[in-house]
Amino acid sequence: MIGTTPVIQITNLHKYYGTTHVLKGIDLSVEAGQVVGYIGPNGAGKSTTLKTLIGLLTDFAGEVRVLGHDVKADPIAVKSRIGYVPENASLYDTLTPMEYLQFIGQLYGMDNETIERRAFDLLKLFELKDYVDARMTTFSKGMRQKVLLISGLLHNPELLFLDEPLSGLDANAVVLVKAIIRQLADSGKTVFYSSHIMDVVEKISDRIIIIAQGQIIADGTFAELQQQHSGSLEQLFGQLTGSDDQQDVATEFIQTLSK
Amino acid sequence: MKQIILWIVGHLFPVWRALGADPDQLKAIVSVKLTMDNRRSYATLGRYGQQKEGKEKNSQFLIVLGTYAFFGLFTGLGMLVAPPKEAIFFPLTISFAYTMVFCAMTLLSDFSSLILDSSDNQIILPRPVSSRTLLMARIVHIAGYLFSIALALSLVGLLVVAIRFGPLAGLMFLTMNVLAAMLMVFLTNVFYLLLMQFTSEERLREIINYFQIIVAVLFYGSYQLLPRLMNVENMTEALDWQNWFYALPPMWMAGAVEMVIQPVFDPRHVVLLVLAVVTPFAGLWFMNRVLGPVFNARLAGLEQDSRPAQTESRNSEKTSSLMQRLSDLLTNNPLERAAFGFIWRITNRDRKFKLKTYPQMAFGLVYIVFMTLGGSKDVFARSNFFYLFALYYTGLFVMTAQYQLSASDDYKAAWVYGSTPISRPGEILSGGMKALIVKLLIPFYALVASYILFYFGLGKSGDVLLAFVNSLNMTMVSALISERRLPFSMAQDVIQRNNTARGLVVFVILTLVGAAHWGLSYVPYGVWGAIPLSMGVYWYLFRQYRQTTWSQIALE
Repeated sequence: MIGTTPVIQITNLHKYYGTTHVLKGIDLSVEAGQVVGYIGPNGAGKSTTLKTLIGLLTDFAGEVRVLGHDVKADPIAVKSRIGYVPENASLYDTLTPMEYLQFIGQLYGMDNETIERRAFDLLKLFELKDYVDARMTTFSKGMRQKVLLISGLLHNPELLFLDEPLSGLDANAVVLVKAIIRQLADSGKTVFYSSHIMDVVEKISDRIIIIAQGQIIADGTFAELQQQHSGSLEQLFGQLTGSDDQQDVATEFIQTLSK
Repeated sequence: MKQIILWIVGHLFPVWRALGADPDQLKAIVSVKLTMDNRRSYATLGRYGQQKEGKEKNSQFLIVLGTYAFFGLFTGLGMLVAPPKEAIFFPLTISFAYTMVFCAMTLLSDFSSLILDSSDNQIILPRPVSSRTLLMARIVHIAGYLFSIALALSLVGLLVVAIRFGPLAGLMFLTMNVLAAMLMVFLTNVFYLLLMQFTSEERLREIINYFQIIVAVLFYGSYQLLPRLMNVENMTEALDWQNWFYALPPMWMAGAVEMVIQPVFDPRHVVLLVLAVVTPFAGLWFMNRVLGPVFNARLAGLEQDSRPAQTESRNSEKTSSLMQRLSDLLTNNPLERAAFGFIWRITNRDRKFKLKTYPQMAFGLVYIVFMTLGGSKDVFARSNFFYLFALYYTGLFVMTAQYQLSASDDYKAAWVYGSTPISRPGEILSGGMKALIVKLLIPFYALVASYILFYFGLGKSGDVLLAFVNSLNMTMVSALISERRLPFSMAQDVIQRNNTARGLVVFVILTLVGAAHWGLSYVPYGVWGAIPLSMGVYWYLFRQYRQTTWSQIALE
């Protein structure tokens, strides 16, 4: 039964960097067709979790299954069925968007004709039609982000991992990408993303997971989380991660300036 | 170049499959990497990567290949033409050793950033590409360049061998050169891996940086060494066989070629041939199966989530360091002081800066010592002229450093010069100049000067002083006539333009000043008399430099 197999299944995940205990026992299960917002302060272990899920990090303890595959045993099978857009990603910017996307498509084993057609249409939709054959060295952050988003989606993956997907995009592109994320989920795909922009997470997530110091401290829909603490997600996040005295810090900050 | 490599890659699909790589992915990766090399203007490929913008021809690399072929001329003609057939073994060994040393040096210096580049990990590894495919692609990419270098180096040798001993011997010579290059790929990988075992990740880059500096010195040094090597007198005599020769890779290759040349077919030559053929392939296999995964994992660790290093929390009372005391002593306004400290610290830490300047310094020192020791028969080394040359060379080094100072990979951070209320940018320049003089010129000059005084006697102390002040002057002149740029405010390739013209002017001035100094050394008290004059000039030039206004500063 497809409906009952979770697309992501994490059991007791631990991860060390040297002697630093980064992930301290993550348990998580995600069903298909959801938009999952994965948030937490810097250094909480968000990116590490993402890298584990996409098969980049395999020296962890615990079990991680993605789309039914064991990430440790068969990372290539996982990678070929998911899409990933990393944060602050580097891309080979001496290439043109078309060349870059062709290259990425080839790595997924797609045939050139499909890649070219799809890449061109997607670039057109992102208003990059006039830049298809321009080298990306001169591209703005938003333009690069669009190319990256396309490179993560090009092979039409069932499960998409996005790290700070809206960074650098202008207001119109933000609306567009949010709509794309929503419609992907409605068509049965799963989007797992992390972000620091709380308003966005609050609005587009079916489910919100908050991680702090390597552990999940909250998990549920926005409405469910609000039952624990009322207010916006931003306030809630502050309370849960123990930084709800930012007002006082701000006051002290101002005072220090004139000392 | 790209087409040739891709053609070869395309015809070896079964090989890649046998090695456990996905051939289509491998070809895609190699193709993209070569395309990028051709377009890049910054120096990922060291000397090989620099070229004019917009051109999509790797002409720079062809020039480098030409240079290598020219080097090969020495070994090819010098070693392989004269010796009789019976004594060809040792010259062959030298020739292969040369190929190997050059390959290893190239791998360790210019290609190290390629080998240690982990941006692939971010872009390619999240895709369904096995780490073995990626590793193979990287090896093929590097090997493509390396084989070209090996072929260029051995070109003349190849012709000599083929003409003297027939095409079969030539073919053997060629094959052995390629195998030698292959062996070096393996050995450098092992070397890097060993380094990674013993040092932390941050230290590794530091160590490799120093290693690159040493390699660069060796590279320059070999220009000097080569003609001397050819004077080896027993070159034409046959070599007595020793059993430890089995441990020297160049001997394997030489033995294999000798086998065809003589021709001989005894156990010793067979062993050498087997070693020459089997070791590179065994190395490749070992690298693919065992080292590759370890290497990639280690490499991944190099940049992955490196946590910010915390230092013990400092208290706000500053401990007075050497730098602080010097800057209090030597600078007299806040802006100059800021520039002094800034440049002092960055020149300590910026690897690119060190890589561009330190090899020259080390080479200068090696050269001076070498000339006085080894070349004592040399008229030049004994002459009055030589120690002056040595002293002024030191000044030349600081000019390079001063010029390099405007370049940085973080040049974009230079926006702070624009956003802060700086009314006299000349003070930044002068502060930086003071830091350079105190930190680089004085210690290095002291070193060279004490050697000169030790070797030529204390009588030369006047010359040492005058040359010092003159060096300062020339550094100032060079700074004044070049485009003035704020420290660390330009991309590396921007400052590389116009380099030649400037170098020429500096060279002319250097020659004039040096010649004047030389002339003065024949006038009684001429040198001592010139010192105050030169100091006066310096005072004037420095003031000029310090009064640089915004309109005189090049901003790009």
